[in-house]
Amino acid sequence: MSLKTIFDQHPERRYIMFGGKGGLGKTTFSAATAYWLASQGKKVLVFSVDPQASLSDIFQRDIFGKGSVKIMENLWAQEIDADQHIKQYQNEIRQKILDMYGFDQVPEEVEQYIQAASAEPAMEESAIFDAVVDIVVEGNYDYYIYDLVPLGHALYYLSMAKVYDEWINKITKLREEMREYEEMVSRLKREKETEEDQILQELQYIRTRINASSRILTDREKTAFFFVVVPEEMILLDTQKAAGMFAKFDVPLSGYVVNRVVPRELLQQEIPSYLRNRIEMQDKYLKQIDEMFGAQVSAHVPELERDVTGLEMIEKLAGIMFGK
Amino acid sequence: MSPDQKAPKKGFFQNFKEVMYGMASHDMSRYALRTRASMEHLFILITMGDMIGIPILPPYYSLRLLPYVVPQISTWKRRLLREKDVSDAMF
Repeated sequence: MSLKTIFDQHPERRYIMFGGKGGLGKTTFSAATAYWLASQGKKVLVFSVDPQASLSDIFQRDIFGKGSVKIMENLWAQEIDADQHIKQYQNEIRQKILDMYGFDQVPEEVEQYIQAASAEPAMEESAIFDAVVDIVVEGNYDYYIYDLVPLGHALYYLSMAKVYDEWINKITKLREEMREYEEMVSRLKREKETEEDQILQELQYIRTRINASSRILTDREKTAFFFVVVPEEMILLDTQKAAGMFAKFDVPLSGYVVNRVVPRELLQQEIPSYLRNRIEMQDKYLKQIDEMFGAQVSAHVPELERDVTGLEMIEKLAGIMFGK
Repeated sequence: MSPDQKAPKKGFFQNFKEVMYGMASHDMSRYALRTRASMEHLFILITMGDMIGIPILPPYYSLRLLPYVVPQISTWKRRLLREKDVSDAMF
């Protein structure tokens, strides 16, 4: 099924993701898809959480950490600055502590904890996905195109989300038991009402956030996940492995896009054996791709004469991917 | 009955209630409060374990809970890190 048909037949799929190993063209395809959808009159946001900003490069504008920036009619792009997001979040926590207890400054051991917690690696993933939830929950756009960081990140987060969820269930239960004791005491002391447990409320909030962020990746109805591959052995093996892992976490796979296919027409011309060999190698793996993924392959994209940066090249690529 | 006679009577009931509470339920509620406090400490341990060197998931969201446990942190640390002594058996 071609990309165009997929988008035409499933207008409800609003979260679009391209995944794959680094450097295969995820950002390029994200930008081209965003461009095409925008030119169809849909309001589109393409966003990235990669600290090695690549949307800035492809649109040739510095948008890192600047919120959503309008690129053209109907098309916005955003690069989330995870560090900035974490700093802001820390400050909110500090402010909350100061407000709640009327301190002039955050107690030292608490401050140390805030800083230590932020140095942990899981912090960044969580902050990123939390920021994504913010963007998506607002619901200002028809399509959200999520320029994923290389696969590991997403898988890591999905597995984390599962662990988080169980962790939260356990502590919520403990918290509820604590509440029973509290209520028993106030019954014995004949007090009227026990205070609302704010922690319990926070826990419930955290759970909805975690679920929301993993749902963006796993929503069968609204999510379309495409794998980007190139006709080379290692990439195919890795992609198969990754596809298996994604399936385990219920990520709905919509198709595969094959990138960097050297145009066959070159074979009619006088070309050096170097290029001829490459074409033959690709032929072999293209056949393999056909056997492995069959009808799931939604597009073949040729190796272009130059790299894709700037709207003009993006337009050209969109034309190749979706048809004029 | 005049209104000033009513007051001592009420006071008597109040006293009686307090005596009954002391006899019957004070121990129970003290016990419940103690259990509640232990659970509070357990709760802080599983959310803020990093603070005493036990790495426990997940820092991003545990920060959200931090403001609520600030007052308990020092007693919690004292309790978890202290050595057991004879008074543990007494109280």
